[in-house]
Amino acid sequence: MEDEAFSNISGKAISLDCQTHSSFCREFTVSSPKMSIGKVMVYTCSVWLLAYAVFFFTENTAVLSSAILITLTGMMLHIHFVKVDHESLLVIGSLGIQVSSSYASGREVTTFIEMSRIKDIVINEAVYLNQIIYYLCVLLKEPSEPNVVSSVVPLFQSSKPRLNCLAKVYESCQEILSKCQ
Amino acid sequence: MGPDGAPSQSVPWRKVLWEWQPFPDNYVDQRFLEELRRNEGIRQYRYWAVVKEAGFVGQQLSCVAIFITLWLYMEQGLLAPETLFWTSLTCALLGYGLYQALTSQTESCSDHRTHLADSQSAALFLSFTFGFSPVLKTLTESVSTDTVYAMSALMLLAHLVSFPYAHPSPPGSLSLNAALFASVCLASRLPGALHTFAMLTCALLVFALWPCLLQRIRANAPGQFTGVCVGVCVGGVGGLGSQSLGGAVLLSLALVSVTLICPLLLVRLQRHKDNIHGPWDEAEIREDLSRFLH
Amino acid sequence: MVLKIFFPQCCNRAESGLLVGRWISGHDSAVVLAVIHYPFIPAQVKQYIQQMQAQSRVDLTVLGSWSLPKDGQEGMESFLRDLSTIFPQERWLQIRRQFGKTGFSCEVLSRDQICGKNPGEKAEKKKKKSEEDGGDAEREDEEKVIFVHYEQRKVMLSQLHPVEAQESGNGSEPNSELRQVFGTVARSQPLFVLDRYDDGPLRSTHWQSEGREASIVVELLKRASVPLGLLLGRMLSVWTWICSARILSVFPLRFLFSKLSTCVQLSYRTERLQTLGAPQAAPQAAAHMDFMRKANVLVSVLLDVSLGVLLMSWLYRDQNIAMLASNMVPAADRVAQKLEELLQWLMGAPAGLKMNRALDQVLGRFFLYHIHLWISYIHLMAPFIQGILWYGGLSACLGLTFALSLLSDMVALFTFHIYCFYVYGARLYCLKIYGLSSLWRLFRGKKWNVLRQRVDSCSYDLDQLFIGTLLFTILLFLLPTTALYYLVFTLLRLVVVLFQGVLHLSVDFINSFPLFAMALRICRPYRLAEGVKFRVLCEEPGTALHLLMEINPLKCSSVVQTYRTPTYSCYPRDSWVALVKKLFIGELIYPWRHKTTKSD
Repeated sequence: MEDEAFSNISGKAISLDCQTHSSFCREFTVSSPKMSIGKVMVYTCSVWLLAYAVFFFTENTAVLSSAILITLTGMMLHIHFVKVDHESLLVIGSLGIQVSSSYASGREVTTFIEMSRIKDIVINEAVYLNQIIYYLCVLLKEPSEPNVVSSVVPLFQSSKPRLNCLAKVYESCQEILSKCQ
Repeated sequence: MGPDGAPSQSVPWRKVLWEWQPFPDNYVDQRFLEELRRNEGIRQYRYWAVVKEAGFVGQQLSCVAIFITLWLYMEQGLLAPETLFWTSLTCALLGYGLYQALTSQTESCSDHRTHLADSQSAALFLSFTFGFSPVLKTLTESVSTDTVYAMSALMLLAHLVSFPYAHPSPPGSLSLNAALFASVCLASRLPGALHTFAMLTCALLVFALWPCLLQRIRANAPGQFTGVCVGVCVGGVGGLGSQSLGGAVLLSLALVSVTLICPLLLVRLQRHKDNIHGPWDEAEIREDLSRFLH
Repeated sequence: MVLKIFFPQCCNRAESGLLVGRWISGHDSAVVLAVIHYPFIPAQVKQYIQQMQAQSRVDLTVLGSWSLPKDGQEGMESFLRDLSTIFPQERWLQIRRQFGKTGFSCEVLSRDQICGKNPGEKAEKKKKKSEEDGGDAEREDEEKVIFVHYEQRKVMLSQLHPVEAQESGNGSEPNSELRQVFGTVARSQPLFVLDRYDDGPLRSTHWQSEGREASIVVELLKRASVPLGLLLGRMLSVWTWICSARILSVFPLRFLFSKLSTCVQLSYRTERLQTLGAPQAAPQAAAHMDFMRKANVLVSVLLDVSLGVLLMSWLYRDQNIAMLASNMVPAADRVAQKLEELLQWLMGAPAGLKMNRALDQVLGRFFLYHIHLWISYIHLMAPFIQGILWYGGLSACLGLTFALSLLSDMVALFTFHIYCFYVYGARLYCLKIYGLSSLWRLFRGKKWNVLRQRVDSCSYDLDQLFIGTLLFTILLFLLPTTALYYLVFTLLRLVVVLFQGVLHLSVDFINSFPLFAMALRICRPYRLAEGVKFRVLCEEPGTALHLLMEINPLKCSSVVQTYRTPTYSCYPRDSWVALVKKLFIGELIYPWRHKTTKSD
């Protein structure tokens, strides 16, 4: 069990937690940076100031209460659907790969990919706005056509770690995959 | 000579970029400008010939002025619509006779229209204009007068700009349409339906038929052409002068500049012309680019 | 190579015995289905397994032995190991739990190890020792084992998505390992019938249903549903016979039926009910889809009818119908009055726009006369409105959708004048737009070349030019008047179309929403599985890896997508841009679409 500090593509600190359950079962957890309180304050204050400005002209208190409601629901929706707390990758040799991301509210979205559908795990590069980023992805194949990559599942999509972190994950994954061929 | 100097060897330099040569990239030799040609196909203009051609532009300007003068008279009630109508009809018949006479002098028709077709067209013009004149009368009722004037001025300008001065015989669509639009706009401000009718007949005469006749005169009787142009110009200035002196002054200034000063400038500036041609002419894209627009 | 053992959670605390299950070929994994406790007679076990194999068409075998040592059962292990000679297998699993440990330990004996028993035994013991020491030295050459614990009941009942059509019982196994596991557990249902409390020769541990009290009620319902279904089917066939009568397919009637939403809804409902009576599809996967579709249709019909009855009970209480009818004529009058005011406003100088006075007057009078006609039509109808409403309300007993469709049709009939205005305005406007566009080409000296589909330049004759320009000027100056009338009546029409569209959408929603599947997803999330997810259970050094397999329920959006009942599409087929374009050039828009049934 080790916990190291890396940074994501925008320079924020993230942590990679690598847990070895067995020689062929490893779990990698990438924790995204926490939501900064300043940002929350800025958004909340701007909405409320806007609401107060409207209230100043219309003198309708419904504006203020609706602003509070909007802020609350916005925050709830944000932590439930947008803000990803950590993403984990569970590699189980000869069984498959499980990708899960848990949101800040505790909601967890999990997908399991069977070994018979996995062709390989690779590090890919992509153009992201004005920079080139690297990402880890699972190449899938159809059992009927084992030589063709049918689709690609990108991993760690919301935390977007940098290459050094990805390389670490990649090496351990490849180790397990090659052991279980 | 290239800035980097030429290495001395036996391989001759070729003006190509697609193959490797033992020269620096920016190297050129003496043969580089051999194929340069200057002012290819230039025409030497003579002043009075240019003035004569410019006379056509001047007389078209005057035609517009005459039309406006007639409209002004009609609007102030100084000219009865019947008078205008009969006058223009007589003028049209006279002009038609002259046109026929000039035609029979030279070529016996190649794509000639019969008298029957001509009279059919004339009947069509007259009946349509007469039938629509009450509608046209009410057309611009709710539009403000300034808008109508602005629109007419714009359209007359478009007529003057797009008029095909080189070959006016079948009048250009845009120029004729613009002039007719302007005359419909102006005619609809007149007090009665008969006024509208007469005004449109007159517009047809001035903008559609007169250029055909003038072209025929220019082709077949070049001696008289200058006289006719001068006459029309004097008529235009005089007519406008009877209504507004400032307009007449402006018109005469415009006429002088178009027929005398502009040709002078053209002949003068011709000396400074320096057009170069050569094998480096930029590529011309002849494809229809409009399909990229949508 | 890693050996995967799918172990049911209910067998965690089973007494020692034999493991019954299946080896999954090609994936090196075993599914444990049940534990048969000792004492047993091996011949009986063999017979029982053969019987089960015939019933479930799963090649069941004895996988190995299971031991949960209790006090005073020390000699058990050697006995269990001896069993491997009685049930000859390629590989023999020995799974045991030990005191003080939550994890299992497993040994795999291959055939030669079983045959040369004594040296093998020693080797095993050695290995065990090394395991207990926690040493990793010998692990490399050892076969590794993953225990995957699953909940037998959920896995048996769940259906993996996407449902594969070719997955069937004709021998072609699916390629995916998980699908094979799910299929095996689902098909070995006969194995789970053997009760724990039965006094048979064999006792076993596996998932068991808690009881069968409710089954009497279910049985009674089943009995009752047979004649009911028969009756409904007979009525349905009579109805379809009436529908297929030739007199109804004559041109004007058929056209009318395709435009009246009540008739469309009727035919749709008939079709759906006919599918309910269709015979069940044979293969397993198709059967699942078929069952879900039928259940969805049935539940939505029942909901529809109950909502309709609710509506009816409101309608026929306290003279509600009379009240509605008496309100309707004044409402129509008020609408007409408002329209008249609007027309009067348009005939003046609306919003300071420059309208052509003569044309304005003509159009305004024309529309005013139309309103007058419509009002007299309404007043003629006034005595019958209550009757119409009373009989129309009866249609609600067929379902809420019928009532809504009828309402939509009635709205269409009552706002017929608005439709007429709209059509006149649109036709006039369309004519103007087309005329202006072609005359504008003439104005520039161009024409539309039909053969090459492009604009070419063209030299016109003098008279063509003259008349074209005259008409262009006239049309241009008259355009604002027509455009204003068109705009106002299009807005009115859009309000009606919007209302009808909302009605159609709600009818479509009731028709197509997979209510049963959605309820199943909410109440029994494991029944519709999208996949599985694993959790690492316990980590003790020296035991194998234990994973817990949980079922990942299908997302609600994909539930709707998969089980949505196909219906005539009522959603706008053309995009908003196309609609705006149509409005701009004055083409007619309709609330109904080309009704083509979506193919599944």
